[in-house]
Amino acid sequence: MDIQTLLSFEWGMMAPEFTILIVGILLSLLDLFGKDTWKKSLPWLAVGGVGVAIIFLLFQYGHGDISILGNTYVFDSFAFYFKLILLIATLLILLMVISRTVQQEVRDRGEYLYLLLAALLGGMMVASGGDLISLFVGLELLSLSSYIMVGLRKRDVRSSEGAMKYLINGSIATAFTLFGMSYVFGLTGSTKLVDIAREMSGSLGSGEPVAIIGFIIMFVGLAFKISTVPFHMWTPDVYEGAVTPVSAFLSVVSKSAGFIIIVRIFWGIFGNATFGGSDTLFATMIDFIAVLAFLTMFIGNLVALRQRNMKRLLAYSSIGHAGYILIPLVSLTPVSLENIWFYLLAYAFMTIGAFMVIYILEQQKQSEDISIFTGLYRESPALAIIMTIFLASLAGIPGTAGFIGKFNIFVGAVAADPAQYILAGTMAVMTVVSYIYYFNIMVQMYIRKPQLEGTTKIARLQSVPLILCVAGTIGLGVFPFIALNFFH
Amino acid sequence: MDSLHIYQNSYTFIVVFMFVAILLPIVALSAGKLLRPHQPTKEKMTTYESGIEPFQDARVQFNVRYYLFALMFVIFDVETVFLYPWAVAYEQLGIFALIEMLIFIVVLFLGLVYAWKKGVLRWR
Repeated sequence: MDIQTLLSFEWGMMAPEFTILIVGILLSLLDLFGKDTWKKSLPWLAVGGVGVAIIFLLFQYGHGDISILGNTYVFDSFAFYFKLILLIATLLILLMVISRTVQQEVRDRGEYLYLLLAALLGGMMVASGGDLISLFVGLELLSLSSYIMVGLRKRDVRSSEGAMKYLINGSIATAFTLFGMSYVFGLTGSTKLVDIAREMSGSLGSGEPVAIIGFIIMFVGLAFKISTVPFHMWTPDVYEGAVTPVSAFLSVVSKSAGFIIIVRIFWGIFGNATFGGSDTLFATMIDFIAVLAFLTMFIGNLVALRQRNMKRLLAYSSIGHAGYILIPLVSLTPVSLENIWFYLLAYAFMTIGAFMVIYILEQQKQSEDISIFTGLYRESPALAIIMTIFLASLAGIPGTAGFIGKFNIFVGAVAADPAQYILAGTMAVMTVVSYIYYFNIMVQMYIRKPQLEGTTKIARLQSVPLILCVAGTIGLGVFPFIALNFFH
Repeated sequence: MDSLHIYQNSYTFIVVFMFVAILLPIVALSAGKLLRPHQPTKEKMTTYESGIEPFQDARVQFNVRYYLFALMFVIFDVETVFLYPWAVAYEQLGIFALIEMLIFIVVLFLGLVYAWKKGVLRWR
């Protein structure tokens, strides 16, 4: 490849990625060589970098499809919309990190920040990957950074345990994914998604069993990232062990990246592969994903009922939510992608908000037990009302973003052909089950009396992510069409 | 999809190799057991340690710093593994490979700077 072809690519389209990369490297150098007085402003540099990346990305709105270096990097509307979720969520999480001015639990604050950015970069590469290799490298960049972030509380036993479990489970899942990819590669002789899709659109013939094995193994491996059955067991331990902003990151950004790669690979490759003459291979494998979605919703929501630790509870609830998001993957309609996108966006706001409230209370009460919410309404009415909004959204009460997301998925499941009545029904029943544990927190907040007299104050920096998350949750709930029109 | 048959058939070789790999030690060891004389003495039963008399438990704790140095070694090792073929084939690869290599070296250099600054290279 000579210099002319190299320069002919539109490198400008990678501006958001380059911004994150440069800011990340700058942060690591400043952390190593900078004066101590500068180091206090490092988090703001990270926030600024993500902000600039969002601005660069927004300028690309409506831009035509682009591919760089033979489809290694692709820019299309899919990449644009999902990258936006990743960037917004990371921005909120960085604000969450900043809100704690006295950092006792994490000594390596520099690492904390640039690992977050490195993980974000991995997620963005996943959103823009057009090749199995670049998708895999992006996914691994995200995973490896997350493994370290979980273990950042070095003196904490639970943190080390979580990091170890995450690393081992993650490695197994990665092996699964790679093994599945090797089948697809063996079948088609290419790693480029476009070539694979073209190769598979012909009759597979005796290759059908190989394609099915590749499909199942790859899906099982990627289930780790979105924490669905069969790779959901790590979630509660890891969320409990990690620092709360990192738990929020794993719950939102990492999970979104998992859904992005699943949509990219499975709809991109298997959506075109003909199977048995008439159906696409994806359509024949729908039942497999449907069973996983069913089990995920079931296990996540039922086990959440028995949790006392707030971070474990949110971990199980996040497993349940991952099950809901699998439904539009199964019920194929033209609005499936839109439903996934909207739910992930709503999920980002409400989950980060809920984690933020827990983060504030955890700093003041040195506990993660559900009792931190006891009598919160007497101590701080504002915080109690804010938490109520997030819980209502997680539970799916009308007027919040969570309701619109769930409603769209439900309608999509019923309207699909063939209609997924069982999944839609399971989703409705499990939503009612989830009311029990979400409302239990509300009971603690409003009806129980506080154990100790005193007030809980929200610092100014802490209010920034809270206000943004409340605005997102209510805004998307009342005016969902702003986001949905933006998507079209 | 003719290539598929070749793809599936190549697994036959793997199966054959697997059987050979399993059978080889079994056959060799059992043949040895049948042929050799069996006269154990106390000296013969001790662990073989290159002729030296064994003096310690086999499980020894090493200083964790060896591990860090080993990791640092891997950085340079991988660098050489990549740099050497590139340098040999530089003429054919051209400018694109040069840029790729520069990025690679800069990233590795950052890793070295990080380790250096964090005091990994100092033996305390």
